[in-house]
Amino acid sequence: MTTDLECGTLCSVIDNLEVGVIIINAERRVVRWNHWLAARNCHTAEQADGRLLLELMPEIIGTRLELAIDQAIRSRMPSLLSPALHGTLLPLYQNAEDRQRNRRMHQLIHVIPLVDAPLQAACLIQVNDVTATVSRERVLRQQAENLRRNSFVDPLTGIFNRRKFDELFALEFAKAQRQQKTLAMIMVDIDQFAAYADWYGHEQRDLVLRDIAAELKAAIQPAGDILARFDNERFALALPGMEEKAACLFAENLRLRINTLKIANESVAEGKQVTISLGVAVMVPEASADTHTLLSSADVALYQATHEGGNSAVCFSVEEGNFFVCG
Amino acid sequence: MDLNELQRDALGEIFNIGVGRAASSLSQIVNDTVLLSAPEVTLVHREDAAKVLLGSEFRQFSTVSQHFSGAFDAEAMLVFPESNALEIVRLMVGPHMSVEELSEFEQEAMCEVGNIILNACMSALADLFHLSLNGTLPVHRFGDTESLTFLAGSQEQMVLVLQVDMTISQQRVQGHILFLLSVVSMQSLLDCLDIYLREQGLL
Repeated sequence: MTTDLECGTLCSVIDNLEVGVIIINAERRVVRWNHWLAARNCHTAEQADGRLLLELMPEIIGTRLELAIDQAIRSRMPSLLSPALHGTLLPLYQNAEDRQRNRRMHQLIHVIPLVDAPLQAACLIQVNDVTATVSRERVLRQQAENLRRNSFVDPLTGIFNRRKFDELFALEFAKAQRQQKTLAMIMVDIDQFAAYADWYGHEQRDLVLRDIAAELKAAIQPAGDILARFDNERFALALPGMEEKAACLFAENLRLRINTLKIANESVAEGKQVTISLGVAVMVPEASADTHTLLSSADVALYQATHEGGNSAVCFSVEEGNFFVCG
Repeated sequence: MDLNELQRDALGEIFNIGVGRAASSLSQIVNDTVLLSAPEVTLVHREDAAKVLLGSEFRQFSTVSQHFSGAFDAEAMLVFPESNALEIVRLMVGPHMSVEELSEFEQEAMCEVGNIILNACMSALADLFHLSLNGTLPVHRFGDTESLTFLAGSQEQMVLVLQVDMTISQQRVQGHILFLLSVVSMQSLLDCLDIYLREQGLL
């Protein structure tokens, strides 16, 4: 057995609840508008009493809340209106400043049919303020997004890091293997970059790395090609579907593009500007081949280019087993 | 206990009125066309309802349930494979979330979607049968088929199984609506249905 409370006591309980409560009768007129709600809306309980809800809050017209109220009163079906789908439906504000800026609170709304005395009290609308939850949610989501990005982006240059490259390269390699299509790999190194850093300092070195990364990025097709910072001053490019001849032309083109940047370099004896060397290797991977074969082929081509004076693009022909200068 | 052809067709038609109304509510919310249809109604024993769900390749489910009472009592449940539920919410709330990070926020959205569909189906029944049913607020859960306690129990119960096809942003997502009724409640529902069919001059 529970104790029956007096009507007045119950009304006082409703008024003191820490959630918004609107009770309407079968005509959709307000019969209860609690303190919580009055404090967050421009109408006091006295002003709201007896008035049509849709007149007090015309925002409701045409929304699902209007349907939900109808359904509660006509069919006794309760409804939930989630903040994700409705957000800030009712004109409710946490404080005067928010009201001035028209910054509504985020709301979770329950619409519940009342069946004991439906003519007097037909429907209960309960409103929870979920603004704090929604903002926390946003912060967490943003943090998750940042973490996700940081795990595959090189912070200095903004292009993929080595980890992401290994992952994507393995996928492309497997795809080329399956479809028996070519996969081109270009390894890029900045010539005598250690000397440059000693001469100009690390800040300047970082700027050059960033500029070169941006230039390489501008040259590739963002949809299919993969560009990453491979390690210190080396970049790796994987170009699915590109034939040897095209890859050589592309590499030579990259070399020229960096030359036209005309980045001054007093630390070298010849040319007095920053240059790059490139190693190219292209293959249609056989079933038994692994990524290492292609990577190391591009790597030996790069070694050859660097040790023949730099500022050149060299291709290692995987089939013929020989080197030749691109362009 | 089984449905005859006339009963099956009539129930299918009534539920399609319901899901049609739900679709227009959902379309209004997302400002995009949402299509819903319930192409098939079957009546099975409770044990077999689990098989309908287990028969699919999915193991994890998202469920929204509501209890309805009145001329007959029914536990209504909207069941989607978890990945499909996440897809629905993603399409409705926006593409900024990945499937792994379903939070309270999206669970409530799923709860609302279920609420709209279940209310619409039960109101369609109540309207056409001229009766009133009381419903509880929706509850959302995730779980595997074993955790669908709904489907366990010793009492003999019947389940009306409705296949639902939902199309949102041109993507088709499939799920089921289950209505679990005691044998007595099921009989009451069929009696209401026969009265309705007689009114329509079909029986």
